[in-house]
Amino acid sequence: MSVFAGFGRLYRGETTVDYYGKRKPAFVVSGAFLAITVMALLVGGLNLGIDFRGGVAWESPVTATLDSDAVREVLEANGIETSNAKLQTLQGTEGERIRVQVGDQSDEVRSAVQTQIAERAKLDVQEVSVAAVSSSWGRSITVKAIRALLVFFVLVSLFIAWRFEWKMALAAIIAMAHDVLISVGVYAVFRFEVTPATVVAFLTILGYSLYDTVVVFDRVKENIDRFNTSRMSMGNIVNVSSNQVLARSLNTTLSSALPVIALLVVGSVIMGATSLQEFAIALLVGMITGTYSSIFIATPLYAVFKNREPKYAQVKNQVAKGAEMAALFEHSTTRAAQKAAASETISRESSVLKNTSSNVLTHPPRPRKRKRR
Amino acid sequence: MNRRLLASLIFIVVAAAASIGVTIGTGNTPSLGLDLQGGASVTLQPEGGYDAAALDVAVEIIRARVDSIGVAEPEIIRQGETVVVNLPGVKDQQRALDIVGRTGDLQLRPVLQSGTVDPNATGATGESTGTTLPTETTVATQSTVPSETSVPEEGGPGESRGARPMTDTTVPSETTVAPAAATPATETTVPTDTTVPAEENVEPISATTATPPEGSEVLLGRDGFAYLVGPVAATGLVFENNATATIQGSAWSVVVQLRGGAEGEDIWNALTTRCYGRDATCPTAQIAIVLDGEVISAPVVQEAVFSGGEVQITGDFTEADARDLAKILEFGAVPVKFEVSQVQTVSPTLGSDSLRAAIISGLVGLGLVFLLMLAYYRFVAIIVFVGLAVSISLQFSIITYLSKTNGLALSLAGIAGIIVSIGIAVDSYIVFFERVKDELSSGRTLRNSAQRSFEGAWRTVLAADTVSFLAAAVLWWLTVGSVRGFAFFLGLATLADLAIVWFFTRPTMLLLARSKFMANRSMLGIKPPKTAEAVS
Repeated sequence: MSVFAGFGRLYRGETTVDYYGKRKPAFVVSGAFLAITVMALLVGGLNLGIDFRGGVAWESPVTATLDSDAVREVLEANGIETSNAKLQTLQGTEGERIRVQVGDQSDEVRSAVQTQIAERAKLDVQEVSVAAVSSSWGRSITVKAIRALLVFFVLVSLFIAWRFEWKMALAAIIAMAHDVLISVGVYAVFRFEVTPATVVAFLTILGYSLYDTVVVFDRVKENIDRFNTSRMSMGNIVNVSSNQVLARSLNTTLSSALPVIALLVVGSVIMGATSLQEFAIALLVGMITGTYSSIFIATPLYAVFKNREPKYAQVKNQVAKGAEMAALFEHSTTRAAQKAAASETISRESSVLKNTSSNVLTHPPRPRKRKRR
Repeated sequence: MNRRLLASLIFIVVAAAASIGVTIGTGNTPSLGLDLQGGASVTLQPEGGYDAAALDVAVEIIRARVDSIGVAEPEIIRQGETVVVNLPGVKDQQRALDIVGRTGDLQLRPVLQSGTVDPNATGATGESTGTTLPTETTVATQSTVPSETSVPEEGGPGESRGARPMTDTTVPSETTVAPAAATPATETTVPTDTTVPAEENVEPISATTATPPEGSEVLLGRDGFAYLVGPVAATGLVFENNATATIQGSAWSVVVQLRGGAEGEDIWNALTTRCYGRDATCPTAQIAIVLDGEVISAPVVQEAVFSGGEVQITGDFTEADARDLAKILEFGAVPVKFEVSQVQTVSPTLGSDSLRAAIISGLVGLGLVFLLMLAYYRFVAIIVFVGLAVSISLQFSIITYLSKTNGLALSLAGIAGIIVSIGIAVDSYIVFFERVKDELSSGRTLRNSAQRSFEGAWRTVLAADTVSFLAAAVLWWLTVGSVRGFAFFLGLATLADLAIVWFFTRPTMLLLARSKFMANRSMLGIKPPKTAEAVS
């Protein structure tokens, strides 16, 4: 009963969760995750792929005559330290593949190893793929990505500040940094290899997180305008807004996450493309934190910033709950909402529904009328 | 109003149907990136200082080399200072490096002989003399003091000597030219050719030397002539980096400054002195300007010593020729040395594996999203289906078109971008539908709600998509490689999303809300209020 009723309320956008009141636990949880991330970054750092460090990687199908030891022998024969070499076995549709990564090598060594691995595996040279990246190039890629990020931060902050206000820009950027950091933390904790695809994933998370936050903030802004004439506390405004967009947020997250889950399950578990697997994990974590942060971090944070303004500081402790909050969806002043809530017998989800529909009959939609006069 | 909406709806659906029809009809598919197709990729970065114009020339050299070996659909991308050369189907890394890894030098070599390249020539010695001469160019010092002319004599640099304005384009009659057949450089500059024609050609050259000196070879010229050139006497480094194309009267010419001192003037003057004097090593008085094995121009030296420090190359140039030559000289002055910063070979099986994984997971993801929408929004989800179909048709056509015309290749990162963009596209519908629900539950009619909620949803979608597009644009501008590919497809998907929301979702929803069909039906699970007419 309660599950269905809860779903019904969610569907109608009538949930009355006090997000603002729960901001402190949320901040603590996020802070804990961030602390873990920072710890992992300090202790282990990121496992950077050759695209960022520079180096050479060979990849070959595993055959009866080629295994890790054979590859190691080939490396040693060419005077490469095998202690630093990274050997991985990957599962693919056409059997296992072996991948080995070492530091920068000369052209001669690179092609010699390729040929010898192919010989060992009794395969065509073409079947062994090679990637080589000079370390200076790796550095320049990293520098470029960071520069792009900084430019993006500035532009997005300007845009949000212009479209909404600068306090929202600040809150959105903090929420985004939170999401990206936690995703990076997943890579740091589980020692996944950071490849260009991972950077793509981080960037997607960043875009997605902002997108989600903008949608919520758009509703907050609308509600600020709606409650403009009444002395409504910021806590109420963000609570009402977050509850109104909750169905949308969950839906969007689900529909964004489904293709990514498909990428994870079909792409990597069934078909065995490991690079896709890690990419998908990063995306999934990012999407979930993205939705979480726009409701639990960005909006409460914004309310905290806003409460420093005199207008909101006076009423900052007046936060409606339960039926009173539900009434706020329809009424634009605290008192009218309290009255409406009191007139209803405070219980039952059905009463909330009745409440709204009975209000509708007596009061035609307010906001529009108000604007006209 | 209804008509306009209908027009916009018909427009977008017809546009999508027509574009996908044409794309499929012509059998075009987007070309695949190396990571999906297999092949070799080399990323080059210029080392040290370089000149923007010189980089253009360097890229052209690489392009010409790649074209000459006939790789199918090569991709040469310039991303800022970085040059990425993608050679699909080339599996041998060493070969790829050979093609692009070395850079051409601009060389100045004395011309020993020149002649036409004509495989059918009968080889009548002497007959073709004069007619086959590439006579169009001369080298002259730029006259600073035209009146003060003096006889050029040998001398060291720094001696004061006036320059003669030279416009004479004729080649001295005593120049001997090998008959066409004696220069069997009909196809390529195979090193063995150098000695063979020389042996057969003893007669014209015998006056000076019996055999051409060590290091000479036959090279093809841009003008269609073949040149037997001597060893490299100087490089483009003798010139300053200031070659310009100028026009004098109606003739275009190229003026370039010589570098001072032993590195520039001395070397140049030593060469010109030899040539002007028709020394044994330069019997034709011509200097071949050679770039990457091709004779760009072979002007006749008109002066022994270029004391003015300026060199002018005149001839039968068009403006384009002159500018081209100036650019090449500039490249010679500041040659771009490339550093190979990334080499990648992807085996074809690995590529096809990834492609299959990406396509299947994309389709499965799409299917799951459909199911979710259907479960949550019931029949309204059909709008989402059709909208996504329209959007995908349009995007597929655009990607295919761009890959045909601009060499855009669909990479794995690009596919990731597209899969991610499914979420963004679906979100626009969700934002819209959720608003419709809000409006409906506050008692408005469907007709009214659809209109109002579109306005609200459009503002939200516009703001959110702008942020997404900003991200894509910044990444596209400032990064390289796979991130760039991802950014392109994300940006395209964002624009497509906006177009679909405005041209498809808006008319569909508004028309549906106004239709008689919807008048007494519940939409999005909220029944129309009985007193609907009274309220609105």
